[in-house]
Amino acid sequence: MSIEDIFQSILQLKRGEIADLVQAEIDAKTDVGAILEQGLINAMGEVGNQFSEGRLFVPEMLRAAETMKIGLEVLRPLLVEADIKPRGTVIVGTVKGDLHDIGKNLVGMMLEGAGFTVVDLGVDVDPKAFLDAAGENRAQLVAMSALLTTTMPVMADCVGRFKEANLGARLIVGGAPVNQDFAIKISADGYSSDAPGAVELAKNLVPA
Amino acid sequence: MRVQCQILSEDEKHRVHAESLKILEQVGVKFLSQRALKIMQDNGAKVDQDAGIAKIPAEMVEQALKTAPKSFVLGGRDPARDVALPRPTTGYVLDLGGVFTRDFKTGERRYATLQDNNDAMRVFDEMELSSVVWPHSMVEGDTPNSNAIRLILHSFMNSSLHVQDEFGEPEEVPYIYEAMAAILGSEDAVKERKLYSVTYCTLAPLVHEGGMCNAYLDMIEFEAPILIYPMPCTGSTGPCSLFSNISMGNAEALSSLVLFQMAHPGTPLIFGDASGSTDFASGGFLEGSPEMVLMTAARGEMARFYGLPNTQQGCQTDAKEPGPQAVMEKLLTTMPLVLSGADLVQGPGCLETSGLLCLEQIVVDEEIGGLCNRMREGIDFDDARNLFDDIAEVGPSGHFLMQDSTLEACRSDEFYTPKLFDRHTFERWVDLGRSDTYSKARERVEEILATPQKNPLPDDVIGKLDEIMRRADEELK
Ligand code: B1M
Repeated sequence: MSIEDIFQSILQLKRGEIADLVQAEIDAKTDVGAILEQGLINAMGEVGNQFSEGRLFVPEMLRAAETMKIGLEVLRPLLVEADIKPRGTVIVGTVKGDLHDIGKNLVGMMLEGAGFTVVDLGVDVDPKAFLDAAGENRAQLVAMSALLTTTMPVMADCVGRFKEANLGARLIVGGAPVNQDFAIKISADGYSSDAPGAVELAKNLVPA
Repeated sequence: MRVQCQILSEDEKHRVHAESLKILEQVGVKFLSQRALKIMQDNGAKVDQDAGIAKIPAEMVEQALKTAPKSFVLGGRDPARDVALPRPTTGYVLDLGGVFTRDFKTGERRYATLQDNNDAMRVFDEMELSSVVWPHSMVEGDTPNSNAIRLILHSFMNSSLHVQDEFGEPEEVPYIYEAMAAILGSEDAVKERKLYSVTYCTLAPLVHEGGMCNAYLDMIEFEAPILIYPMPCTGSTGPCSLFSNISMGNAEALSSLVLFQMAHPGTPLIFGDASGSTDFASGGFLEGSPEMVLMTAARGEMARFYGLPNTQQGCQTDAKEPGPQAVMEKLLTTMPLVLSGADLVQGPGCLETSGLLCLEQIVVDEEIGGLCNRMREGIDFDDARNLFDDIAEVGPSGHFLMQDSTLEACRSDEFYTPKLFDRHTFERWVDLGRSDTYSKARERVEEILATPQKNPLPDDVIGKLDEIMRRADEELK
């Protein structure tokens, strides 16, 4: 048994094995920080790389993330005890008036895989709900998705309200009709054209 | 015989229908609109109010199939361009749903403008197979709330075809109807001529929107035709088998049919489909894949199984720029639809999964449509086409170039004359500037845009439409 086995169980999508592997490491008194970083998070980093390179397919990536989460649940009480905090909290959602959620879901799941705590507000989310959720969860980051020309302005509205409320959370945007220029125009803190890019962005904006 | 491609056997059609009924009865469909839910309940659906789910019995589907009209006409702004459904040959719908335009001069991908919308309308208007236009999508503008009205009215001004749009806000309706009355010269003619229809997408899996659904119920009395357009994506928002994705899309379409027929029996409905397949490497929605067209063609066959007019997504590509991938995917996703007898194919003009308008692609897609429609006509075995007498007259050796029948046939529909292909010798092709399909298409676009519009609206009507747009800007601020 080793942390390497935990790492491998995620890459090999072994949902049924990971809980026992993590428990075995805990029982062997391995450092919980090491189990988290080298076992779980690094494995998802590798999953992210393989996905970005097109070697891993979405359903496989999602199963890996699910496997990782099962391992994380076993570890969680000890993390709280050892005062090891997750990477940061991200609020995700599709903006008011917009019901497209395939892209938003992918972004949320990949962020989760990268170690962020993700609060998914779903679709048709109004700016106030983003604001409330960011406050309640002390989120470092808010990731908004919009697929319609008619709902893109809601992102601008949201950015404005966050600046006003001065919550400190950074705002990033994405979705098929959104681009870098638009993100700059509405003073968002970042834009990404795909889910792996959103993870990179999040890592840069919320350093570990 | 006309070439007929069959995607589903009779037995398979019955299985899709049975599965759809099973989904509607056992799983049910969620309505985010209370009004819609009430209509379903009042007409016999088993409704779980808390969950918002209606389980729809087969009898409701049967009833709705009885009252849905089997034929109607989508009026063109120019009556000569009316589209009677069902059609004996496939017509094409300009797909301008996308947000981006590939700039005709620079090739740059940028947000679309009103001018792009108008240019695309002008180009598509000159295509022989064009039937219906979708207006473009616009991000920018000082008056975002009246953008949709501006795009629709400009589409009427720049196109002589039927205009079909997704429809956003109920407040937009009066302006659009006033504009049609101005074009047609009377309010009564609006209902009668049906110059405008709307697209209704269900939210896969098995959900009907709230606001959008209410808006459609509000305008149902105008009897504008509704294109029912489920878009389940096999592998993400739909189950990961073509069979089940087709069945679920069909169930979504039937649930819309039930809703609109119960709300207003006789509402003209187009039984459409825009299913997608998942790009497993990215999670993306694919429109240029063989699986996509197998599904939309199958759903077209289901429409004919029910005797309903149909529009299917096709002539699509996931390519980011004009070129071989675009042409291959568009040909692949047009041919099965045409050969199986689709009334309308929605797709021409767009690249990048319905996201990017490209003017020269409109002309290339017309060629793809022309080739496919020619294939559909097949081989004519009419006695008039039996040229035994010519064979006897020419006899062994000799040639047929001088025969009357050759002279007559060389410009007939039996021999398709491509507009964009090069068939010269190598040397002639070099002399002529080594033209390719896209360069010829670009020339055609330039030519169309350089000549005055053939069928403009009279000045006084344009004045009225301008006035309506000004008012919409003011009132919808
Ligand atoms: C930092 O945060 C970030 C970072 C990156 C982020 C991010 C957030 N969010 C996304 N990303 C990025 O990462 C993701 C993964 O790599 C990517 O996410 P995407 O979401 O872009 O990509 C997904 C993985 C796959 N892509 C998709 O899922 C979208 C595909 C297309 C075909 C599409 C679909 C599937 C649907 N639709 Co809709 N739909 C279209 C789309 C055309 C297109 N090619 O985009 C589009 C967006 N739709 C359109 C329309 C018009 C509509 N749709 C509607 C409905 C639907 C369905 C429900 C049928 C379905 C969505 C199902 C669902 N559960 O999401 C309606 C509106 C509903 C509403 N109120 O929201 C309706 C109005 C149609 C109608 N008349 O009913 C068009 C918009 C035009 C415009 N004016 O803006 C459209 C471009 C298609 C078209 N050409 O007409 C990146 O963008």
